[in-house]
Amino acid sequence: MDNKYIENMLSKMDKDLSSHGISRRQAMKMAGLSGAGIFMGGATSASAEEEKTVKSDAKAKIVIVGGGLAGISTAARLTLNLTDPDITIIEPEKTSATYQPGQTLVAAGIWDEDEILYQRDDFIPDGVKVIEDRAVFFNPQENKLTTEKGQVVTYDYLILAAGVQLDFERIKGLEEAGRALSAGNNDKLLDALGDSICSIYTAQGSTKTWEIMQKYIAQAKSGSPDKKTKFIFTHPNTPIKCGGAPKKIIYLTNARLKEAGARDNAELTFYPNGGAMFGVPEYHDAIVGQFKREGIKHHYRHNLIEVDKEKKIAVFDAMWQEKGPWDPVMKDFEVIPKHEKVRVPYDFLHISPAQIAPREIGESDLGSAKGWVPVNKETLQHIRYMNVFSIGDVAQVPMGKTGGSVRKQYKVLVDNLIAHMNGKKLEGKYAGYTVCPLITDIGTVMLAEFDWTVMPTPSFPLDPTVERWIFWLMKVYALKPMTMYGMMSGRA
Amino acid sequence: MKKIVFFMLFASMGLVASKGEIPYAIGLKLTPQPAKIYTVECADCHGTDGKQTSFSGFPGVIMYAKIAGMDTATLAKTIKEYRGGVESKDYQPLNKYGYGAAMKAPTRDLSWDEIDAVAKYINGLK
Repeated sequence: MDNKYIENMLSKMDKDLSSHGISRRQAMKMAGLSGAGIFMGGATSASAEEEKTVKSDAKAKIVIVGGGLAGISTAARLTLNLTDPDITIIEPEKTSATYQPGQTLVAAGIWDEDEILYQRDDFIPDGVKVIEDRAVFFNPQENKLTTEKGQVVTYDYLILAAGVQLDFERIKGLEEAGRALSAGNNDKLLDALGDSICSIYTAQGSTKTWEIMQKYIAQAKSGSPDKKTKFIFTHPNTPIKCGGAPKKIIYLTNARLKEAGARDNAELTFYPNGGAMFGVPEYHDAIVGQFKREGIKHHYRHNLIEVDKEKKIAVFDAMWQEKGPWDPVMKDFEVIPKHEKVRVPYDFLHISPAQIAPREIGESDLGSAKGWVPVNKETLQHIRYMNVFSIGDVAQVPMGKTGGSVRKQYKVLVDNLIAHMNGKKLEGKYAGYTVCPLITDIGTVMLAEFDWTVMPTPSFPLDPTVERWIFWLMKVYALKPMTMYGMMSGRA
Repeated sequence: MKKIVFFMLFASMGLVASKGEIPYAIGLKLTPQPAKIYTVECADCHGTDGKQTSFSGFPGVIMYAKIAGMDTATLAKTIKEYRGGVESKDYQPLNKYGYGAAMKAPTRDLSWDEIDAVAKYINGLK
């Protein structure tokens, strides 16, 4: 990042702040101390409260399926809150503790993959057992599960934190990619995607995204405004983790193109499946404004269904509605849904893949008709099995597939689980908080925070729809230590 | 007494066997186990030996080809096409010899790794 960029950002930020009567110093203090301070578990009221927590003597065998951020944070907090914990984590992947929010930054060449790669075993709390295997058969009637290698595991309490699978397989032409997980070895997926298709949804893939992005930025640089290099970005028709990521990668590509002086030779187009940029109207409006300002095109209601890798064509299923004939009974016109296949040539294609719960869970007795784990969205307890809880991406909780949601969820889950072990009422309630630090440029972030009220719920006394440098600092410097050392130790 | 000892011996063998059995289910992206996939998805029509050429109940009527020993690459390619793969037109499963729909159901949940493994297994059927 050159100095001009930073100066530019700073002057923008100062103008912004002065309209609120805050100096940059004060803002840094706010973001750095009260903001990051809370996250780091410093001397704040939140952590003071925690110290008062009385450890529970309740005993039970707790099994956690999945050793990602949600699984490990929950195990850590249970260890802190139980005098005699008996916890087992089932997780086959050694790098399951990888810092996923950093993948966008890796994909834009701001971080290296090493900076997000973490070993699971460094974060497993003392006394917690690990089974390096995958749970594939669930028998919740008998409180049993079986792993891929045939080990039968019994439990008193089961916590499902298995995350989501990235379903590249459903896209015609990419079947060989199969379904991928974010961490671990994804060579097969990268081979299937080739050299012009990329996805930041895997750790390895984010490094590859940066390679491919540089290649096409170079192509744009040597091109001309008449023959633009086409950058295409997608958003699938399933719930996804971090709904902001498909947009972050657009903004970062845009920033890198501008930096290379090649923006005029490139065309950026976003094809989301939905009909809006964001579920919260305030943030939707802000993003539409940003797209307009940056000259990024978008076409709503386009779902990627096929890729022709040789001819470099992405096929979308485009949906719309038409006014039909008059219905004399309803006294209104009928609405006829229509759709057709749209073929879009691309140079650079970024896929945000469809995401599903692992089928062994989604299609088991623990799954719902929609293939997720149905839980009470406030207590995170399974709706049928009272000794089963679920957290993170795999839980059927509206909106919350982010690490920011997990940060609120795991405390609720631990409180409720211990309450249930003691035969008390479940009083912990998750309010749907989630956060998306939406990177809008190299150096600015719009901190989109919201909950089930679908209203912005800002943590800072600033207009939440404005992109700010202080949030960029928070995203790049404060959130990772907060997540890796605060949450994973069960404290933040 | 002898009987009881024998009984206990058999019972304990049964226990060992059930413990050692490795679970497998199609569609979970587990390490492919072609013999199990073949038994579940293919053997009903093609026979456990891959030589059956008609549905049971129609002996003597040749309704489809013998698959045992077919070329691995051809098998894999055809099964992938049946699955609704690359060669399919207009997103319909390939309708070779009118078996498109019949072949779609057993193949749709297979990953490409599993198809490759099954193709090799069928090639090895003698």
